[in-house]
Amino acid sequence: MILSRIKPAVGGEAQSTVSDKKKKSKTKKIPRLEEYLQQRDYLGALTLLEFQRDTGEREEHADLWIGYCAFHLGDYKRAMEEYKSLTMQADCPAEVWVYLACTLFFLGLYKEAEEAASKAPVSPLQNRLLFHLAHKFNDEKKLMGFHQNLEDVTEDQLSLASIHYMRSHYQEAIDIYKRILLQNRDFLALKVYVALCYYKLDYYDVSQEVLAVYLQSIPDSTIALNLKACNHFRLYNGKAAEAELKNLIDISSCSFEFAKELIRHNLVVFRGGEGALQVLPPLIDVIPEARLNLVIYYLRQDDVQEAYNLIKDLVPTTPQEYILKGVVNAALGQEICSRDHLKIAQQFFQLVGGSASECDTIPGRQCMASCFFLLRQFEDVLIYLNSVKSYFYNDDTFNFNYAQAKAALGNYKEAEEVFLLIQSEKIKSDYVYLSWLARCYIMNQKGRLAWELYLKMGTSADSFSLLQLIANDCYKMGQFYYAAKAFDALEKLDPGSNYWEGKRGACVGVFQLILAGRESKETLREVVPLLRNSGNPQVEYIIRALRKWAKANRVPLS
Amino acid sequence: MERPDTRLLTDQPYDESLELHDSEEVVTPTPTHTQLQSKSRQRSRKGRGQMAANSSSDEFEEEKAVSHRAKEPISGQPGLNANEEEEEEEDDDEEEEDSDEEESDDDEEAGAAPKGAYDPADYENLPVTTEIKELFQYITRYTPQPVELEHKLKPFIPDFIPAVGDIDAFLKVPRPDGKTDDLGLVVLDEPCVKQSDPTVLSLWLSEESKQHNATELKKVTSVASPHRNPRAVEGWVESISALHRSKPAASVLYGRPMPDIDSLMQEWPCELEELLGAARPPPAALACSLAQYAELLCALLDIPVYCSRIHSLHLLFSLYLEFCGSAHFKRRA
Repeated sequence: MILSRIKPAVGGEAQSTVSDKKKKSKTKKIPRLEEYLQQRDYLGALTLLEFQRDTGEREEHADLWIGYCAFHLGDYKRAMEEYKSLTMQADCPAEVWVYLACTLFFLGLYKEAEEAASKAPVSPLQNRLLFHLAHKFNDEKKLMGFHQNLEDVTEDQLSLASIHYMRSHYQEAIDIYKRILLQNRDFLALKVYVALCYYKLDYYDVSQEVLAVYLQSIPDSTIALNLKACNHFRLYNGKAAEAELKNLIDISSCSFEFAKELIRHNLVVFRGGEGALQVLPPLIDVIPEARLNLVIYYLRQDDVQEAYNLIKDLVPTTPQEYILKGVVNAALGQEICSRDHLKIAQQFFQLVGGSASECDTIPGRQCMASCFFLLRQFEDVLIYLNSVKSYFYNDDTFNFNYAQAKAALGNYKEAEEVFLLIQSEKIKSDYVYLSWLARCYIMNQKGRLAWELYLKMGTSADSFSLLQLIANDCYKMGQFYYAAKAFDALEKLDPGSNYWEGKRGACVGVFQLILAGRESKETLREVVPLLRNSGNPQVEYIIRALRKWAKANRVPLS
Repeated sequence: MERPDTRLLTDQPYDESLELHDSEEVVTPTPTHTQLQSKSRQRSRKGRGQMAANSSSDEFEEEKAVSHRAKEPISGQPGLNANEEEEEEEDDDEEEEDSDEEESDDDEEAGAAPKGAYDPADYENLPVTTEIKELFQYITRYTPQPVELEHKLKPFIPDFIPAVGDIDAFLKVPRPDGKTDDLGLVVLDEPCVKQSDPTVLSLWLSEESKQHNATELKKVTSVASPHRNPRAVEGWVESISALHRSKPAASVLYGRPMPDIDSLMQEWPCELEELLGAARPPPAALACSLAQYAELLCALLDIPVYCSRIHSLHLLFSLYLEFCGSAHFKRRA
């Protein structure tokens, strides 16, 4: 059941019926309407009603029955047309207006629904409808008014629970369902509602257990099987979920149209976004998740701008919406260097990560980590990332952020290990990755590996920056050989600037290391040409000193 | 503004690992802990919210207990210190935390000297000439420049989100006869997955009620891209043949007198049998039109052809079916 439709469903083409099989029993007698209704074979019931209308043998209230069947079939357009034509008749019962309003509600025509409902006599159904309409219009005052009119009867309480559910107050909804279940043990459908709430609360195995009770008595329920598939998706993977959905598709007849959009939508989800561009766009504002999934799809394709366009006007209400808005703003903010976007991202992350409902979920932790990352508070980033790291062992995105945080706090050894776990070529060619990895190498006394990173890079502004990093960090860490090589390269690339002091110090540093036995004597042979490359008058003086020592220690210099 | 938040969050792992058995315990540790926070640290709503959620609604302990277990992998995760003896370790935590902070502060201040950095003091005692010693001064004369590196947050991309739909809001049309239906209570208000096909059903209804003209087929349905949807096609064929099986075989009223099947099934004269055995009946590849060939065969089988060949051919095939179904000939074949 979709109550969250935003896009009006009317104005489109007539529903095309897929032709196919299925005929009920092989009994020869003409079936009765009641049998079809008992089976919830509304298409059969409708066909029978129409046949009777055409042959002149009319059921009492045939029009109302047709409306009833079309409504419960989920063909709200058909039901609406039926009720609309009834309201045109002079002897139309007044309740028809509220029936019409119900169909309009499900078609997403909320204004029209309110108008129609206002023509109906006061009834509990009318109140419930107006209650839900007030929720749609975000009219808190009216909402409270209709809320007070709700009575302590099953239908009204269930309607209230449904509002709780839509406002993410799942625990309140569960409380209502359980209370009613205590009094009416045979109300099995409520088990499914409870299972839906647990699903939303991320208790997927509990959801599954509660759901099983219903499926035991009605094994072919579309809503229940779809929920089961979603639980499988969360608990296991897309493959397991798709198998459940396939099962549902196989047992349903081709003329079965109910929840078809939901199933198509979820197939895209379970297949990791396959077919997203074909299936999801028409479902935007019909199924609330469709827009979010399309945003996720664009993010995965690295199309940040497109993702932003889709979500920028969305006013977030659910944690998932806040998270996605945060993620998109963070991505865009970094791409176009916009402080405003980053600020928004950080605020959304903090809001979700600090909320009671999300603070202990994995996404909640990721939000908090992202928030602190944007604030450059890496100690806190690590606390949050550590708390979920077992879920992301091979996740490149996670490792990229995690390693940066570790490196920022000076834990270069672990940072290096984590950086090296990353597989994505895109990340590995990112300068942020290269520069931090180079720094880790150097800090871990592996200057040679940092130098090799430089050698593998093409000449660019980035490679120039990397040289400066290598030159200075190596110098700082006493890895003078690579510092000298880097200064030498800098000198060639940037003749205007003066790198002599650094190079001089580095070359002498190599000499000192040799004297201390920490560098092989042969290295001295490479130092001389490095010095020679510079035109500084001090070069000869230094070389003379080196030669003198080399001669005394029988180290060949050329 | 974030700083206080930050601090309080460092306590979070500890909070999460608290094992609470009773809702009353939930609230008590919170203020105690707050006092322990010497500086003006506030506690996050986090831990508290979580606990409150867990302790609410005791009525349904059974399922609550299960749901708690479901969450454990997440909330248990940040339990960096598995604190069983809470009170005692609390202070330790505090100290550890402080010392951690100091350390990191040191790191920042003395950023120039990380572990393993070059230290000229290590080399002071090298046995070298004064000339070389002078040379060594060049090393400290250059101070390496700190190179600031950019950070880049790679935002985590959430998983795709499946849709489960909303819950029945009881905005539904009641039965016109005023009886109650159990829709949304005993069974979900959803159509059964097996719905009758309207076309097949209306054909069947008109067959049963003998009101053939009443239901002119209102719409002719078609299957889009049948090669990709064999199920629809097979289903249709099957249901239509079931429909046909259920009704008596069609009978054709011949416009002109025709011999009956039995007489046509009589044996041929011996001469003809022999001749056909030797010469074979005329093959379909005969150089003549299909119409001529049909007439030829009808003539051979004693079936008269009047103005239309349709009736004659109908008789021809009926005869063929009769032979196929005949027990006598089956045995011989």
